[in-house]
Amino acid sequence: MGATRVRYLLLAVPLIVAVAGPLIPYELVRSASFADVGLLGTDFAGRDVWHQVLVGGRTLVLTALLATAGAYLLGTLWGLAAASAPRMLDEALMRPLDVLMAVPSLLLLLVVAALAPEGVLVWTVMLVHLPDIARLVRACALEAGSRPAVEAMRLQGEGWWRINVGFVARSMARVLATDAGSRLTGSLYLIAAASFLGVGVAPDADDWAVMVDRNRGGLFLNPWAVLAPSLMIVMLAVGLNLTVDRVLKRARHAPR
Amino acid sequence: MNLTRYAARRLAVGVLQVAGVACLVFLMVESLPGDAAVVLAGDQPDPARIAAIRAALGLDRPLAERLTTWASALARGDFGTSLVSGRPVTGIVLDALAPTAVLAGLTALILVPLSVALGVAAARREGGRFDRALTTVSAALYAVPEFALAIVLVAVFGVTLAWLPPTGLGGLSAAALVLPVSVLLVRPLCSTGRLVRSAMIDVLASPYVRHARRLGLGWFAHALPNALAPAVQHLARTVDWLLGGVIVVEAVFVIPGLGSTLADAVGHRDLPVLQGLALLFAVTTVVVNLLADVVSFRWAPRA
Repeated sequence: MGATRVRYLLLAVPLIVAVAGPLIPYELVRSASFADVGLLGTDFAGRDVWHQVLVGGRTLVLTALLATAGAYLLGTLWGLAAASAPRMLDEALMRPLDVLMAVPSLLLLLVVAALAPEGVLVWTVMLVHLPDIARLVRACALEAGSRPAVEAMRLQGEGWWRINVGFVARSMARVLATDAGSRLTGSLYLIAAASFLGVGVAPDADDWAVMVDRNRGGLFLNPWAVLAPSLMIVMLAVGLNLTVDRVLKRARHAPR
Repeated sequence: MNLTRYAARRLAVGVLQVAGVACLVFLMVESLPGDAAVVLAGDQPDPARIAAIRAALGLDRPLAERLTTWASALARGDFGTSLVSGRPVTGIVLDALAPTAVLAGLTALILVPLSVALGVAAARREGGRFDRALTTVSAALYAVPEFALAIVLVAVFGVTLAWLPPTGLGGLSAAALVLPVSVLLVRPLCSTGRLVRSAMIDVLASPYVRHARRLGLGWFAHALPNALAPAVQHLARTVDWLLGGVIVVEAVFVIPGLGSTLADAVGHRDLPVLQGLALLFAVTTVVVNLLADVVSFRWAPRA
């Protein structure tokens, strides 16, 4: 099918470049800024654009994956704790998240990253996702936790970990899996936007988003220094989202 | 529950949220590693300057006292003065408000009718060619970061074809607004259009609409409010994206609005400006969410 091939191609090209790019041995070209040498010319610092594209995707993809996984780990435990806690503790856990939700996500990212040292990007993206995930998990866990099976486990004297992580968390894995795909694209979006704004990354980092920002001044001189990383990010976002969308549709039609 | 009581309850929650955000912003600035004054004094701090900044920030007084001073000044509408330019924060924010209001307002003005029209048009014939096209395109473009899209559009329309100005440097003329507003529109349009579509499909399949159609009644006016209630809630959440998008779009197109001011304040660690802007953004988010909740409650009372 043509559409499927396009979808996977869009996802695969940037992913392969991001993952395998740094492994490709490459003859470094150095010359003046925005010069027309090599495959795609040079960037603002006279570095080879093609080489930068090859090495610039890894941090983006890794940070997005790490932040999403971390957010799920923290959010699941948080939501489970709130769902199984007495009412007062439940409120104490969930109300602060309401405040967090009132802060626009990119603003939170900018403020935290401005105040804290480098490497904080992952934590902030986790913080952005935390309220939504914790709420979702709490709602699912409350539903699953009132099932007879949980009642029986409690009567048998099973521990908190075994009931909540062993049974309740597993029973909502499906809901979480469908949610995770769209969260991953959200993380990717946030991290790329923050890196573009120069938050939480070194100003000369090998990163597609940083490349776009730094080379903007040379848009007229060497457009490929800006276009190549932009297109990589666009392809990655489009491919990932189309794939997630496809998986979600399949999951919805699949028998339960 | 009637509308007034619902609105009053939501308002109370909103006030608490804003107060919470204000405290959060204050504490975040407080938790700056080391002393804020040392960071602000620059690379080679001289003790006199550090002491001056410390006195200006009131850092030599205890935390609780500083929080109350800050909060009471806030309550009087005094946001403090910028550490970089020495101008009052209120003035800086008001100056930057106009371009952002134009950008965000214009985007919202186009977004609402267009997303409803697209969603309804797709829902009229579910699985049809237009529906499939809309679903695919919106899924594809939904997660594309604004800056990447903006750069591609600038390269094509601003540089190669030279139809539109590549930046907003020459003032916000109609031509200069086309690219920024288009970029801002994409993400909210995709998500809201999809949402309206699926809500409309659900409502069209509901017994009461089918019955009204069989009777030949004007069913559309009944179906639309019910389909739009979730969309209104969602529109409120897109304000979050719009604010984020504005920050990025203003940076790309060099527009001197709130987003650029924020980016500058972050770069210079201009804490009072940062605090003021964070508070403004948070209040906007809370107010819009509140309005959306009340509107959707009015249209389709459920809770």
